[in-house]
Amino acid sequence: MSGQVKSLIDKIISERSKGNPTIVNTTKTKLILKGIDPDKWDAASPDDVQVISKVKQIAQELGVTI
Amino acid sequence: MSIKTAYSTKPAVKDAAAEVAAGIKESSPGVVVLFSSSKYEPAVVSKELQAAFKNALVIGCTTAGEIVSGKMLKNSIVAMGIGSDVVEDAAVEVVSSIKTENHVREAFASFENHFSVKMAEMDTSSYVGLILVDGLQGAEERLMEKIGDLTNITFIGGSAGDDLAFKQTFVYANGKSYSNAALLALLKVKNGFDIIKTQSFCAMKKKLKATKVDERNRTVLEFNGKPAAIAYAEALGVETEEGKNEFMRHPLGLIAADGQPFVRSPQQTKDNAMVFYCNIKEASELSVLESTDIVNDTRKEVEEKIRSIGSVSGMINFHCILRTLELEQKNQTAAYGKIFSSVPTIGFSTYGEEYVGHINQTSTILVFK
Repeated sequence: MSGQVKSLIDKIISERSKGNPTIVNTTKTKLILKGIDPDKWDAASPDDVQVISKVKQIAQELGVTI
Repeated sequence: MSIKTAYSTKPAVKDAAAEVAAGIKESSPGVVVLFSSSKYEPAVVSKELQAAFKNALVIGCTTAGEIVSGKMLKNSIVAMGIGSDVVEDAAVEVVSSIKTENHVREAFASFENHFSVKMAEMDTSSYVGLILVDGLQGAEERLMEKIGDLTNITFIGGSAGDDLAFKQTFVYANGKSYSNAALLALLKVKNGFDIIKTQSFCAMKKKLKATKVDERNRTVLEFNGKPAAIAYAEALGVETEEGKNEFMRHPLGLIAADGQPFVRSPQQTKDNAMVFYCNIKEASELSVLESTDIVNDTRKEVEEKIRSIGSVSGMINFHCILRTLELEQKNQTAAYGKIFSSVPTIGFSTYGEEYVGHINQTSTILVFK
């Protein structure tokens, strides 16, 4: 299975930014500071259970419902 | 109204406070921001300036050096009076016990009460936050992370200093001074604002992955599976014991979404571990950075920003003490100060800068349109 990490990251960015490009950038930077680099994950990236768990935790911190 | 700045180097604290107050009175400020050398008794500075502007929000902190339009100073008080034609409303909260606790949520609840709008729903172009934080508690990352979790509002600021004594730093609010605390101020800006984040470094090709860290103590034990100091020196092609001589010129950078580094400055080595001025998460991949030209880079960024905005009322510059030390070594403090001659500006030499996260060797500048 693949692409779940990217899908979760995209949801976080979309929910927080609501299309505002400045907030897209700052949300991506917040993710990088939390240890997840959005640019390193795409639709073909294998699903990593630990990373998925971390991204879900970050979503919770950022107030995004997954 | 609008923005006025003033400074004083008078030796007696009450005289200095009075001179600064007289200098900014014309702005009829609703907000006063001040930065003062730690040689002035913090409690007196805060009390005197609040008394001079009874109806204004008066906030500030101690420093490791001050900046005012056209000048870099030491042993002074600098202040900015901001009129209601620039900031139409403002509130401040003091977050205490930051070394062990994190009360950002409570501070935000107070802001929501004051402005009658939820932090998560505020217009990000109409509100900007200031953060000034005790620079000796190691709390900046946790505070900035919680702020970023709870809101999209930009918070920008710096870590208070104490003229390189590293004994005690203070933030000012409510006519008092506080340690082990941060102040958060939320400003409703009438004409908008912008941010400059400038760090004079370029990324080299070498990367270091933090494979073992002690995050709480801002320490990296291993890069790329090797003792950190050894891996760092190897990346620069120097002997391990020479590595510490390269810290200022070659800090590390976490590359952000805009391609610019969030600088992580090494402080010291301890048994081949490396202690930094901010924490580094395990598995972070960092670029080795190379320093460029602070004066030319900053001048270019400031001129470009003024050109793009068209009309700038004032700027507040949170400027890393490590940059100040480098400017002093190169006799460039006058040239750096001159960059800010044309716009009412105050700032200070910080023990760290805050914008989205905690940063080192950077200037983060709030620009009022």
